[in-house]
Amino acid sequence: MIIAILFIFPILSSAFLFFFKNKQLNVVLTAIYSLIYLSIVMFLVFKPQQFTEFLKVDSLNVIFLLILAILQFGISIYNIDFLTHSQVSIRDHTLYSIFYQFFVMAMTGIILSTHFGLLWVFIEATTLITLYLINFNKTKESLEASWKYIFICSIGISLAFVGIIFLSIGNFNINSLFFEDIYKNYKNINPFWLKLSFLFILIGFGTKMGLAPVHSWLPDAHSEAPSPISAMLSGALLNGSFLGILRIFKVMRLCNLDVFAKILLLIMGFLSLLVAASFIVKITNYKRMLAYSSIENMGIIAIGIGLGGVGLYASFLHLISHSLTKASFFLTAGNVLHTFHTKETNKITGILKTDRYTGFLWIFSFFAIIGLPPFPIFISEFLILKEMIFTKNIILFIIFVILLTIIIFGLGKSVLKMVFGEKNEHIEKYKNSFWVYLPQTLFLIILVIIGLYIPNFLHKMIENAVNSL
Amino acid sequence: MIDLFNLLIILIGSSMLYVSFTYRLEEYIKTLSIQGFLFFLIILLDFDKIEILNFIFLIIETLIFKTIIIPVFLSKILRKNHINREIEPYIPNYYSVIIATLVLAFGFFISYWSNDEFQNIRPLFFGISISIIINSFIIIITRKKIITHVIGYMFLENGIFLLSLSIAAEMPIIVNLGMLLDIFVGIFLLGIFVNKISSTFEELNIDKLTTLKD
Repeated sequence: MIIAILFIFPILSSAFLFFFKNKQLNVVLTAIYSLIYLSIVMFLVFKPQQFTEFLKVDSLNVIFLLILAILQFGISIYNIDFLTHSQVSIRDHTLYSIFYQFFVMAMTGIILSTHFGLLWVFIEATTLITLYLINFNKTKESLEASWKYIFICSIGISLAFVGIIFLSIGNFNINSLFFEDIYKNYKNINPFWLKLSFLFILIGFGTKMGLAPVHSWLPDAHSEAPSPISAMLSGALLNGSFLGILRIFKVMRLCNLDVFAKILLLIMGFLSLLVAASFIVKITNYKRMLAYSSIENMGIIAIGIGLGGVGLYASFLHLISHSLTKASFFLTAGNVLHTFHTKETNKITGILKTDRYTGFLWIFSFFAIIGLPPFPIFISEFLILKEMIFTKNIILFIIFVILLTIIIFGLGKSVLKMVFGEKNEHIEKYKNSFWVYLPQTLFLIILVIIGLYIPNFLHKMIENAVNSL
Repeated sequence: MIDLFNLLIILIGSSMLYVSFTYRLEEYIKTLSIQGFLFFLIILLDFDKIEILNFIFLIIETLIFKTIIIPVFLSKILRKNHINREIEPYIPNYYSVIIATLVLAFGFFISYWSNDEFQNIRPLFFGISISIIINSFIIIITRKKIITHVIGYMFLENGIFLLSLSIAAEMPIIVNLGMLLDIFVGIFLLGIFVNKISSTFEELNIDKLTTLKD
C-alpha cells in the first residue's frame, strides 16, 4: 500500500501540474512529495516490508533508499529558490518539476526492484528522464552534452541487456530472473555464462556509474546540467547503477567466482582514480572538476568492493558520505555560478568576500570530499588503506595514496584559489536567499555526526548490507 | 523447416555485408527495414513455441516498429535536414567489407563451436547475432555522420533482438517490454536530437561536437 504512494503521487501530481502551470504550485507539490517520500522511507527503514513480487525493501537496498530520501529532500528545498530568479518560462519551470519527480520515482524503482529485467527497465527510464533535465538550459554545449549522454548510456545499457540475456542462458534450468530465485539456485548456473554476463553487466551499468574506461559522458553531463540535477546525478543516479552491479556481484560470490569479479572491479576502480588524477590537475571548469571527483569516488567504492573484508564496510560508508558530500558541493557550485555567472575557475576569486556563507560551505564541502577528519570519508578511505595493508597489497597501497594525493592537490589548488583572495571588482556583494544554504548545511551536519559517531542503527544497517552481499 | 530458419538467419547476417560496402544512406535504411521483415518471418515460423500474448507483442515489434515505423521515421529525418546522402566513412569501404566478412566468418565459427558445447541455445542464432553486434559497433566507430550512428545503434538493437531469440527458453515479457523501450530511445529521442543538433550545429558530423573537452 505504502509503495503505491511513492509511485502514484508523482504521476497524479504531474498531471495536476501540467494542467495548471503555476510556479508556486510546482514548488509546493515537489516539496510535499519530497516530505512524504522522506517520512515513508523513514518508516520503511525501521519496518522493512514487501509490497509486491517485483518491489521490495531488503537489507541491501535500504541504504540506497535512505540516501535517496535524504538527498531528494535537501534538493527539493534547494529547488524552492533555484529557478525563481532566473528568467525561466512557466512551461520550462513546470516541466522541470515534473521531470524531477519522475526522476525520483524511477530511482526508487531501480532501488526497490527484485528482478533483473525490471532493474534494467528502470535504469533505462532514468536515462530518458534525465535527458530533459541535462538539456534544460538548451545551449549548444548542453545539447552536445545530452547527445553524448544518451548515446553512450544507451549503448552501455544495451550491453547490460546482452549481459542479462547471457545470464538467462546460464541459468537455463531456473528460467527466472528474480534475484531470490537466482540466489537460491546458484548451483545450477553455468559458470562460463555467468562470467560473461558479469563482464557485460559491469561494463553496461559501469557506464552509467561512471567507472573509468566508459566514463566519458559524465563530466560533460554533470557540468552542463543545472546544479541541483548535477547533485542528483552524482549523489543518486551513480549509486543506482552501482546497486545493479552489486546484485550480480552477489551471484558471482555465491558461485565462488568472486576473484574474477574482484579483479575486474579493482582494475576499473584504479583506472577511474588514474583518469580523475590526470584530468583534475589541469582543469579550468569547476563543475567539471567536481564531476571528475565523482569518477574518483566511484572508483574508490569499486576498489573497496574489490578488496573485500573491511573494504565492503568501507565502501558502503563511502557511498553514503560521498552522496551527501558531493550533493552539498554541487549545490554550493550552483550558488557560485549564480553569483559569478561563470564556470571558469580562473575568473573567480574571493568567494568569502562576495558571499560569505557560500564561501564557508564551499570550503567545508572541500574538506569533506578530501577526507579531512571529522568527515566520514576519512574513515572509509582509512579502512580501505588498512585492508590493503592487511591483505599485503603494498603496491596497490602506494598507487592509491599517490593518486589520491594528486587529486587532493588538484582540487585544493582550484578551490582555495576561488575562496580566498580579493573580490572581483565588477561583482556586487551578494546575498542569496535562505533556502539555497539550508540543504548544504543540513548535509554537512549529518556528515559530521556520522564522522564523529556512527549511530547504532546506521552501523547495523551497513553491517546487514555487508552480510547480505 | 530448419533449413528455412537457417536461410533467414544467414540472410540477416549477410545483410550486414551489404551495409558495409554501400555508400548511400538510403540503402542503410532499406536494410534495416528488410531485417525487420526477416525477423517477422522468423517469429511466424516460431509460432508454436511462443505463448500467445508474447507472440502478438513480438509481431507488433517486428512488423510495425522494425519494418515500417523506424525506416519511415529515419527517411523523414534524412529529408528534413537535407543530409548529404554519402556515408563519409573514416576508412575506405574496401577495408570495411573485409572486416565485415571476417566478423561474419567469426560468427559462423562461434555457432559451430557452440553447437558442440551448449544445449540450451540455438547455435546459428547465437553466432550470427554476435557477428551483427560486432559489425554494428564497427559501423558506429568508423562512420562520421551522427545519423549513421543512430542507424548503427538500430543495427545493434537488431543484433540483441536476435540474441534474445537464440535462447531456447522463453524470455519473460518484461524483457520484451525493455526491448521496446530501447527502440523508443533509439528512434524517437535520437531522431529528435538529430533534428535539434542539425539546427544548432552547421553540419551533422561528430567532428563538430568538440566544444566540451579537457
